[in-house]
Amino acid sequence: MVDEPDANAGADARHLETCTECKARYETVAGDARAITSLLAAPELKVDVASAFNRVRSAPAARPRFGFRLPVMRPGSRPVVLAFAATIALAGLVVTAIAQGGSIFTPTTVEPVPVTVADIQALSQLSAYGNLTWTTKPNLQIVTSAAEAESVSGLKPPTANNLPAAISKNVTYAATPKAVAVFTFSKDKAAAAAAGAGKNLPALPSGMDGAQLTVTAGPAVAEIFGNMTAPKAGTDITQAGVPTLIIVKSSAPVATSTQVTVQQLEDYLLSVPGISPELTNAIKAIGPGGTTLPVPVPVEFATSSKVTVQDVAGVGLGDNTGVGAGVIWVKGGSVYAVVGTIKLSDALDIANHLT
Amino acid sequence: MGINLGVRAVASLRSDEESFEALFTAEYARVAGIANRVLADPHEAEDVAQEVFIDFHRLHSASAQYAPAWLHRAAAHTALNRLRGARRRQRREIAQATEEMDRTADPQKLLEVNEDRRQVRQALARLAPRPAAVLVLRASGLSYAEVAQALGVGIGQVGTLLRRAEAALRKEVVRGTSI
Repeated sequence: MVDEPDANAGADARHLETCTECKARYETVAGDARAITSLLAAPELKVDVASAFNRVRSAPAARPRFGFRLPVMRPGSRPVVLAFAATIALAGLVVTAIAQGGSIFTPTTVEPVPVTVADIQALSQLSAYGNLTWTTKPNLQIVTSAAEAESVSGLKPPTANNLPAAISKNVTYAATPKAVAVFTFSKDKAAAAAAGAGKNLPALPSGMDGAQLTVTAGPAVAEIFGNMTAPKAGTDITQAGVPTLIIVKSSAPVATSTQVTVQQLEDYLLSVPGISPELTNAIKAIGPGGTTLPVPVPVEFATSSKVTVQDVAGVGLGDNTGVGAGVIWVKGGSVYAVVGTIKLSDALDIANHLT
Repeated sequence: MGINLGVRAVASLRSDEESFEALFTAEYARVAGIANRVLADPHEAEDVAQEVFIDFHRLHSASAQYAPAWLHRAAAHTALNRLRGARRRQRREIAQATEEMDRTADPQKLLEVNEDRRQVRQALARLAPRPAAVLVLRASGLSYAEVAQALGVGIGQVGTLLRRAEAALRKEVVRGTSI
């Protein structure tokens, strides 16, 4: 094990050539290393890479457990991932509001909703039936103090009173003021979607064309625990700090509609020819609950359970392996989430002691 | 906007699948080799290697710069964890002895080899995780730079870590044989 150039380089090598004492010590170390190598001899290993790859590919768990990878690992793709997530989240809220019916929706509890990834992706098809726009875009800001986070969002960041010892005490804050999105149903777009399926649009109820659904999300504040530092010069990204825990508090979203009730909008949307089975599934899976915020859980990747947090019903994600877990709940008009590379039991404990 | 981003996300996933296959092809033999160095059991070593790749692919991008280092470290630690499982160890030793008995002509020689391996692996299992990992990674042919990356230490520390680990292993082997 002493044949490595880096182990015995430069001035050290020159010194060894002339110093008998060091040379003798070096020979002893080299002898030890050779002895260890021989002790650690192992039976011959012949691998068949192609069939091993097939075995790994066919294992269900070989796919990402939560359907996404940690964004910190791929800095280049972060803006795309965030924009995609924001679009999907917005469409999700709109579809939720549609599915819940009534003319106003604000959740008071959460419920896990088993969906497939295809169902979630189908949410973006909503743009085939109308226009989806932000009237106030989310404006996420990273700040270094709780006071700054509060001044951006108007929300006091929650206090975690019993963090496990392994969680870094370094906290970064993220905050955003409220964001408002509007979905405007369009007769022309819906007719084009129906024509794509070779059908005519069913008769429009009065007020349907141009009916608007407005969704307000946030404001929100997040506490990110971990040493979020860039890797040191000369090292790779494994040396970068990775957040181990994120605590989020957000005002519960509110949805309102104009011209028609949300129930009418849902009924009509589902009757439009050409609507995909996945989008129909997404809508049907969510409602009607009236006051339930669905937590979409991709059935292929994640596990969920019903938990009690701070005396209210919540949704637990993940398990006790420590790979990743989270708890989401609604209380006092706010949605809370505690998520991290921790065990579900730790996430619950942190959540229960949050003030 | 949403659909375009969706298409880009799907394209990115596809290229990630290709990156994963390339990473697997490049690193599988090495990752299995590290596990085999610990377990002295090719079948179980491949089992560990596949488990490590599955774990990696669940949460990480195959194009990540740190991928090989992550795999090497995980292979060493996963195999060492298995080595420490007493029940598995017993089963492995029986399977190993039976298999080698079929291949080796000299039963006396085989007994000696097996006894040496058993003692060294028992000693390895008693070492702290880092010294055990540094020995295994180096004995598997990783360079000092690769060992440093896998263990998240400076390259200058590897030599010292290795020497301490070698001394610790020798001590454990002696302790094991003198009991």
